[in-house]
Amino acid sequence: MHTILRAIVEPGFFSSYAVQLAAAFGGVVAVIAAGIGVFTVIRGQAFAGEALGDMGSAGGSSAYLIGVAPIWGFLGISVAASAVMELIGVQRARGRDLATGVVLGAGFGLAALLLYLGMSHPGTTGEIPTILFGSIFTLSSSNLPIVLTLGAITVVTIATLYRPLLLVSVSPELAAARGIPVRVVGASYLFALSIAVALADLTIGAILSTALLVGPAAAALRLTSRPHTAILAASGIGLGCTWLGLLLAWDSYYWPPFRHGWPVSFFVVTLVLISYLLSGLRRRGGSGSGA
Amino acid sequence: MQPGALIPILAAGVVAVAVSGCGRGSTRLRADQQVRTGVISAVGAESQYANVISQIGGRYVSVSAIMSDPNTDPHSFEASPGVAQTISTAKLIVQNGLGYDPFMNRLEAASPNATRRVISVQRLLRLPDSTRNPHLWYSPRIVAIVATAVARDLASLQPRHARYFRQQLKRFNRSLDAVYRTLASLRSRFAATPVSSSEPVANYLLQAAGTRNLTTWTLQADIMNGVDPAPQDLTAEDNLLQARRVKAFVYNRQVTDTVTQSFLQQALQHNIPVVAVYETMPQGYSYQSWMLAELHALQRAIGSGRSTRSL
Repeated sequence: MHTILRAIVEPGFFSSYAVQLAAAFGGVVAVIAAGIGVFTVIRGQAFAGEALGDMGSAGGSSAYLIGVAPIWGFLGISVAASAVMELIGVQRARGRDLATGVVLGAGFGLAALLLYLGMSHPGTTGEIPTILFGSIFTLSSSNLPIVLTLGAITVVTIATLYRPLLLVSVSPELAAARGIPVRVVGASYLFALSIAVALADLTIGAILSTALLVGPAAAALRLTSRPHTAILAASGIGLGCTWLGLLLAWDSYYWPPFRHGWPVSFFVVTLVLISYLLSGLRRRGGSGSGA
Repeated sequence: MQPGALIPILAAGVVAVAVSGCGRGSTRLRADQQVRTGVISAVGAESQYANVISQIGGRYVSVSAIMSDPNTDPHSFEASPGVAQTISTAKLIVQNGLGYDPFMNRLEAASPNATRRVISVQRLLRLPDSTRNPHLWYSPRIVAIVATAVARDLASLQPRHARYFRQQLKRFNRSLDAVYRTLASLRSRFAATPVSSSEPVANYLLQAAGTRNLTTWTLQADIMNGVDPAPQDLTAEDNLLQARRVKAFVYNRQVTDTVTQSFLQQALQHNIPVVAVYETMPQGYSYQSWMLAELHALQRAIGSGRSTRSL
C-alpha cells in the first residue's frame, strides 16, 4: 500500500513549501471561480468571462511595466473592462457577444502594445508565459492576503445578491416585473466576476482562466439543476482539478521529453475538460435509469 | 542547447565604447580618416568582447559594442539601421555564439563582406551546440584565447601594426595574471566551498575559483531562460538556503524576477552573504578589473561573510 502511494505521490510533495502555497492559492481561486462560474453559465456569459480573462494579459504586462504585483494589473484591467462591457450593453441578450467582442479586440490590442513594451523593459525575463499561462508555483506568499481579501469580496457580493441574482439570471423579465433592479444586480455580478477572473488569471494564466470559470460550472450544471448544489459541486470539481493538477505537475518532473516537469496549467485545464466529459456520461446514465 | 531557445536575456542598446567617439554625421569623414590612418573598425557583440578588442587594438581600432545591457530578449532584438551600418563596415567582429547572439549571424549575412573576420568564441573553442552554459566570458582562460585570436586577426588586417598588436596582447595577458593569482588563492583557501547561484552567469568563474555549486542545473537553466521552474527545484533551493548549506548566494543583478527575489530575500534572512554578478560588463570597468571585482566580492562573501549587492 505504501509503495503504491509512493508511486502516485512522489516523495516530498506534501512537505514542499512551494506546493503548500500553490495548493492554498489554487484552492481559494478554484472554489471562487467555479462558484461564480455557475452564474456565468446560467446567464450565458461564458464569452464575457473568457474576454475578461484574456484581457488580463494587458493588465499583467502593465503591472510588470510599472513595477507592481501582477494581481493589481489583472484586477485593474478586469474591473475596467467589465465596466466598459456594462456601459456598452453586455447585459442585453441581443448584441451581448458583439459588445464583448469589441471590448476583447481592444483589450488584445492593448495587450499587444504592453507585452511588446514589456519585452524591452529591464528585468522582466519570462514575463509573457507567466502572464498568459500562469506560474502558480512561483507566487509569492505576500499575495495570499490579497487573494483572500478579494475572494471574500466576491463571496460576500454573491451571497448578498444570491436570490435576486438567480432570478435575474434565469428570467430578467420576471425579475423586472417583481421590482428587482436588474441592471444593478447584473452590474454587481459583473464586478464579482471580474475579481474572480483576475484571481484565475494569477493562478493559471490569462488565456486559461476561463477554463476554471466555466468548465467546473458547466460540468456541475449537467449533474444537478439546483443552483446551490451546482455551486457546491462546481467548487468541488474546480478544487479537485486544481489540486490533482498540482500533484500531476509534481509527478511530471521525471516525465519525457526533457525530464523537467510539465506546467500545472496544462493539467488543470485537461482535468477540467475530462470532468466535463464525464459529467455528460453521468447525466445520460442518470436520466436513463430514471433518477 | 537549442539555438534561440535557451538564451539569456540580452539587450537592445547600441553603445559605442568607442576609442574614437563621434556623431552620426561624421561617419563618412571617420571612414576616410580610418583608411588614411589604418584604423580598423571592429564590433564586439557584447560589451566585454568589445573591451578586449579595444585593449588589443589600442589606437588602431575603433570598437563598437552591440549589446551592453542584458535586459531584453534577443528574440525581440531589432537591428536598427545604425547597428546594420556598424556591422556592414566592421572589419573584425567578436561574438559569443551558443545561441546567445543569433542576430549577429543574421546581420552579417545581410551585409556580406569577404574581407571581414568574424570570431565566434564558440567556434574558436570548438564547443558543441549542446554546451549548456553560454556565458563563456566568465572564464578568463577562454577570454585569453579570444584575445590571442583578436591579435592574430588584427595583425593580418593591418600587417604594419602587427608588432604593436603583439605587444598589446602581452600587456593584456600580463594584467590577466592578477585574475589568475586571485583564482589560485581562492582555490587554495576555499576549495570545494558550497555556493548557490540563481543563474549560470558566473559559473565558469565560480568553477575556476574551486567552489561547488549546489543549485540544481535545471533551476539555473529555467531562470536563465525565463521558464517556470519545477516545484522540486524550487523546494531544493529553498532547503539549501534555509538550512544554510551554502556559503554564498550568487545572483544576476541585471535580471531579477519574483523567483530570484525570493531566493535573495531568503539568503539575506538566513545570513548567507550574497554576491551580485553582472551578465554584461558594467560601466567603468575593463574586463580584468571586472573579473577581479567579482572575485573580491566572492572572497568577501566566503571569507568574511560580507554581501556585495552592486559593484
